[in-house]
Amino acid sequence: MTPQTTNNLAFNASPILEAKYLTRSFGGLVAVNKVSFVVNNNEIFGLIGPNGAGKTTLFNLITGLIQPSSGQLIYKGDKIIKLRPHQIAAKGIARTFQNIRLFGELSALENVIIGRHIHIKSGVFNGVLNIPPAPIEELKTKHKALELLDLVGLSDRAFEKAQNLSYGDQRRLEIARALALEPQIILLDEPAAGMNPNEKQYLSTFIRQICTQFNLTIILIEHHVPLVMGLCDRIAVLNFGKLIALGNPAEVRSDPAVIEAYLGAE
Amino acid sequence: MAGFFATYGNLIVLMVLGAMLGLSLYLPLMTGQLSLASPGFYALGGYIAAILSTKVFITNSSLFPIPLLLLEMLIAGAVCGLLGILVGIPALRLRGIYLAIATIAFVEVLRVISLNLDITGGAVGIFGIPQPFQTAIEYLWIAVPLLIISMFFLYRLERIRVGRAFAAIREDELAADAMGINPTYYKVLAFTLGAILAGIVGAISAHFLNTWNARQGTFDASIIYLTFVLIGGSKTFLGPVLGGMVFTALPEMLRAIADPEITGLQLPTAIAQFLQDGRLIIFGLLIVIGTIFFPQGLVTPDLFKRRRVRNNK
Repeated sequence: MTPQTTNNLAFNASPILEAKYLTRSFGGLVAVNKVSFVVNNNEIFGLIGPNGAGKTTLFNLITGLIQPSSGQLIYKGDKIIKLRPHQIAAKGIARTFQNIRLFGELSALENVIIGRHIHIKSGVFNGVLNIPPAPIEELKTKHKALELLDLVGLSDRAFEKAQNLSYGDQRRLEIARALALEPQIILLDEPAAGMNPNEKQYLSTFIRQICTQFNLTIILIEHHVPLVMGLCDRIAVLNFGKLIALGNPAEVRSDPAVIEAYLGAE
Repeated sequence: MAGFFATYGNLIVLMVLGAMLGLSLYLPLMTGQLSLASPGFYALGGYIAAILSTKVFITNSSLFPIPLLLLEMLIAGAVCGLLGILVGIPALRLRGIYLAIATIAFVEVLRVISLNLDITGGAVGIFGIPQPFQTAIEYLWIAVPLLIISMFFLYRLERIRVGRAFAAIREDELAADAMGINPTYYKVLAFTLGAILAGIVGAISAHFLNTWNARQGTFDASIIYLTFVLIGGSKTFLGPVLGGMVFTALPEMLRAIADPEITGLQLPTAIAQFLQDGRLIIFGLLIVIGTIFFPQGLVTPDLFKRRRVRNNK
């Protein structure tokens, strides 16, 4: 590991997620090839690399959507490979999707309320008959969801169907939905895709804000290099499934392997 | 009024039962799973009631005791629920049309088994199922409360955690999974709830129809229940209720239209014949036309939306 130099990490550099020789191949293609890294608590960890470098595959591995061919993932001391996605979500790892996956027919508010699923205890019986704790839980859930919508600036669109929201609003709604899980780690897959420079600037501030406010660890895939360099505490660079660089933005920017991957060899 | 009930009592009870059968198919559909297994559970529930009332609960009274009928409904619901879990866990690994095919196969397997067992009366079926009521219309005392309970259950279900998990899985199973919702659990739950409801309705129907045989649970029935849901509306529980009622009454209405004694119209024989016997063809056409022009069915949540938005503000 490279020594931590950024201010944010000087105070709490306790590891929260660790990948060890994580590998996933699809037939002959090794999409993620023996990737090892440690993500520290409360840091913003960037994941960059050219198209097809294996970034989203890595996200899918972490969230259990696909299983690794080999290697290990350790979250807060527990091995999490072989867990189903909903089990990993319940442990505190939430995500957004590169190609937005909201519950389109449902309202923005319902989308966020569904994110609260793991925090509601009442089942069919209590819920249908509205027996305590169901009524209070429902009220609290709705209240909490409205708070989150307010946080992402969507409170006036709460009753709009998710599919009718604008692209940028949908991206923000996905973040609100992920935050509703009260996760420890949130994985953002290209959150700034399709946004204009103003929105990107706002998003950057927003990500930093939620990181501090909710004591979150954020792992983020992003193509927009200035945003990643300005926002992330540390950056991992993938190319053809391999981790080619890891360090703070300044280190990564001057790394010859990274320059070669992005600009080609001299 | 008494005359009306004497004439249409039968049909009204069937409409209420039809509404519940629509709901039994709607439940798995809440999670986006097109299951056509309802007629299988309906037939099974009916057989349970028929066998229990003709072979186990033999009474001397002229009317079959209501508590025993309720007990039969309970047993039918429980057995169908258990079978629902057993069938649901492997079957719900399939999706879309493959699940539909697997559930049709399930219905057929049950049908063939019931055709060949002695206890189910083979091809002849079970006759002389005792009546708990004097007249057909009195079945409403059981059927209407049950429909109201089912509708209340679904009304509430759509507003709580479990119903929202169903909706999330219907909208995007993968995203629901990533939000901490166990898709398998909720799909099996929805499937099982539908099975329980179909079984209970079967138990009532067996008494109501007085006889029960393998023709109760067929592929035809699957398609008819599917019509209830698809045309009625698959996005709110009111759709299948309305669909079940309308489409149970429709064949009778067509029959009435074809009858010159009722309408006073002398239709050509071929058309009259078609209206009387072409029920499945008409249902098939309605599915095709309905899915093109009303892809969400006749009753959609948007119908109520304006009111809801106003309430929320």
